[in-house]
Amino acid sequence: MVVLAGVSVIVFALVHLVPGDPVRLALGTRFSQETYDALRERSGLDQPLVQQFFSWLGGALTGDLGVSFRSGDTVTSLIAERLPATLTLAFASILVALAIAIPLGTISALRPRSLVDRFATVISQFGISVPDFWVAIVLILVFAGTLGWLPSGGYVPLSEDPLGWLQRLIMPAVVTGTVSGSVITRFVRSSVLEALGADHVRTAQAKGLPARQVFTWHVLRNALLPLVTVTGVQLAYLLSGVVVVEIVFSWPGLGQLALQSVQSRDYPVLQGAILLFAVVFLVINLIVDLLYTAIDPRIRR
Amino acid sequence: MRATRPLALAAAGALTLTACGGGDSVDTGGGDGGGDNTLVAAVSAQPDQLDPHVTTAYASFQVLENVYDTLVVPDPEDLTMQPSLATEWETSEDDLEWRFTLRDDVTFHDGSEFDSADVVYSYNRIIDEELSNSFRFQNVESVEADGPDTVVIRLTQPTPNLLERIGSFKGMAILPENAAEDLDLTTEANGTGPFQLESSDASSTVLTAYEDYWDGAPSIDGVEFRYITEPAAALTALQNGEVQWTDNVPPQQIESLDGDDSVELETTASVDYWYMSMNYARPPFDNRDVRRAISFAIDREEVAEAAWFGAAEANQTAIPEDSFFYYDYAPFERDPEQARQLLAQAGVATPLTMGLMVTDEYPETVTAAQVIASQLAEVGITVEIETLDFATWLDRQGAGDYDAFYLGWLGNLDPAAFYQEQHQTDGPNNYQGYSNPQVDQLLLEGSTETDDEARKEIYDQAAQIIVDDVSYLYLYNPDVVQAWAPGLSGYQIRADKAINFENVELP
Repeated sequence: MVVLAGVSVIVFALVHLVPGDPVRLALGTRFSQETYDALRERSGLDQPLVQQFFSWLGGALTGDLGVSFRSGDTVTSLIAERLPATLTLAFASILVALAIAIPLGTISALRPRSLVDRFATVISQFGISVPDFWVAIVLILVFAGTLGWLPSGGYVPLSEDPLGWLQRLIMPAVVTGTVSGSVITRFVRSSVLEALGADHVRTAQAKGLPARQVFTWHVLRNALLPLVTVTGVQLAYLLSGVVVVEIVFSWPGLGQLALQSVQSRDYPVLQGAILLFAVVFLVINLIVDLLYTAIDPRIRR
Repeated sequence: MRATRPLALAAAGALTLTACGGGDSVDTGGGDGGGDNTLVAAVSAQPDQLDPHVTTAYASFQVLENVYDTLVVPDPEDLTMQPSLATEWETSEDDLEWRFTLRDDVTFHDGSEFDSADVVYSYNRIIDEELSNSFRFQNVESVEADGPDTVVIRLTQPTPNLLERIGSFKGMAILPENAAEDLDLTTEANGTGPFQLESSDASSTVLTAYEDYWDGAPSIDGVEFRYITEPAAALTALQNGEVQWTDNVPPQQIESLDGDDSVELETTASVDYWYMSMNYARPPFDNRDVRRAISFAIDREEVAEAAWFGAAEANQTAIPEDSFFYYDYAPFERDPEQARQLLAQAGVATPLTMGLMVTDEYPETVTAAQVIASQLAEVGITVEIETLDFATWLDRQGAGDYDAFYLGWLGNLDPAAFYQEQHQTDGPNNYQGYSNPQVDQLLLEGSTETDDEARKEIYDQAAQIIVDDVSYLYLYNPDVVQAWAPGLSGYQIRADKAINFENVELP
């Protein structure tokens, strides 16, 4: 709660410090001074900043994040409208990422400097450094254009059209999942390697335990902690919207909303979105901490 | 009007992967948005909101064009004003009173009847609440009904461009009386247009045909506007049949797509213009010779080519040659020698440094600015390009904190809007600070002259001085570029970029 209070002050200050006048942006280039003044008053921007902050904070505490300058809609409904798409993409991407990272990272740790290891290094380097924008366009041109297997983009809710939902999810999830997966692969590899060299693992091996049991019980469990941490960080990042991928695949997520609100200096939406991202980070950190205690009983004490 | 130039799209191009497959693509698009007879249109952005009197976003007007009507509308061919909800109008002797006769067979989408009270309500809403377009009623004293079929607009001074003021786009839409109280106009609509609003969310806006439309029901069942921001994705969606129409064509592919029969592409010069403008408050740009030197140093063709890959027409005045108010005047041919002479004559020591403010809101201007910089370098002017986001750009423009800037004016139908506001001393958009008594006098005459031919002559004279003085350094008119599925008929590309699907028939 203390963190959130701090965040809200910083969010508000930062948003208002950015140069640019939302009223001029909303009115375009042709308008009269009277129109300008009227809109400024309607948006509450003629009030002193401190007063604007407290009326925003007061609303935020009761779940009212204000009304968008740009669309005239409430911020909560704008966010709620885009939340399902963002949640869908974030979790699908994490699944893709883990599906890549766990096997690839583990195998390359078990066989360091092998062909698989080198391959994994190259792949994860590729995933981290190649721009997702480029990969996304290539996927569209190949799978939607040349092959015509998948739609070029868009989003439909699962409840309306499960097949269409899945078809549209594949490409964006693969793009963001590959990037996250590349990051996670490196963590998996290094933490498995570290666990393999630990004393208790050597002890277990010396005791003559079967290799499989040593691996699942002594190695994987210990490698799991860093994995949970980095997955949490990646998930939080994905939940705050992946702007570029959302734009290329016409995915109506929070990233696009945040970008639009920055461009149009839509303060209420921007504040609401950043506040939400802060809450997401806090909640995910909390969950990660809880998972720690479940995985490693020592932390409970 | 110059005929639009149909160009068929070609298989070649930088992004050849789209076209060279050749295999039949599966229609993975369909699904949502209504029956088979629904047109799916890919547009580049989501409408910011749907209140026609409040929004200023082009994305909103793409939708609203099909939902609402105005008293008069621009003719799709030459953009002169034609009857729509008003069938005829007459002006009083002193030109201060306009009487509009309204159609009597019009109903709103909710079934209620249209009459003069709706017009009075709509116009007074814009005026009383000081909404975005209230400046268009600057000369309007009152809007009153005279019986259900007549609306009387009284003016404070003769306003020859009144029809353009109330009809050029759907920002002047007629809403039913008390619409703002009865509906949430940001998300709901009740118009008299050919389509009614079905739904609008973060993925698409869906319209359905209005069967009782006064001009006959549309031949398609509806329109779904899908937002596809990335042009390569929009083109792919058109080619594999997910959408049947788009205006989001990658500009670098316009020429190379010539000859592909999987897509039909048309272009026409728009009534948008792009220009550069120098700050009179920052010497030496207050010096006419310096501005003329810069104008002589620029090759407009090259700038247009860089910005739009050839899909733009160089122009030294504001609007393209198809428009009634076009003035054929081009005194500046690129001439670096003369530019250097003029600079020397002005006593300006070179290299002269000039900041040029552009915005990434319009990425093509950033490219064009680089070309301008290299052209001006040849005559000893060092251009420092400042690329800003639009909000910051507008702040700096408002504060007069720039040497020169680069921007466009869109949808220019009447010179009162595109010469007077920009070049009259203290005009509302005269940011550069231009002041020429002779121009002021001409612009004043033009704003009250009611004979079209006489009016054009006045504005031609004003335009000549404006161009000679380089109040604006006019550069080019970009083309409107739109593409659709082969066989789609009844659609007309327009210089004002209005998108109307009323008469479209699907293949």
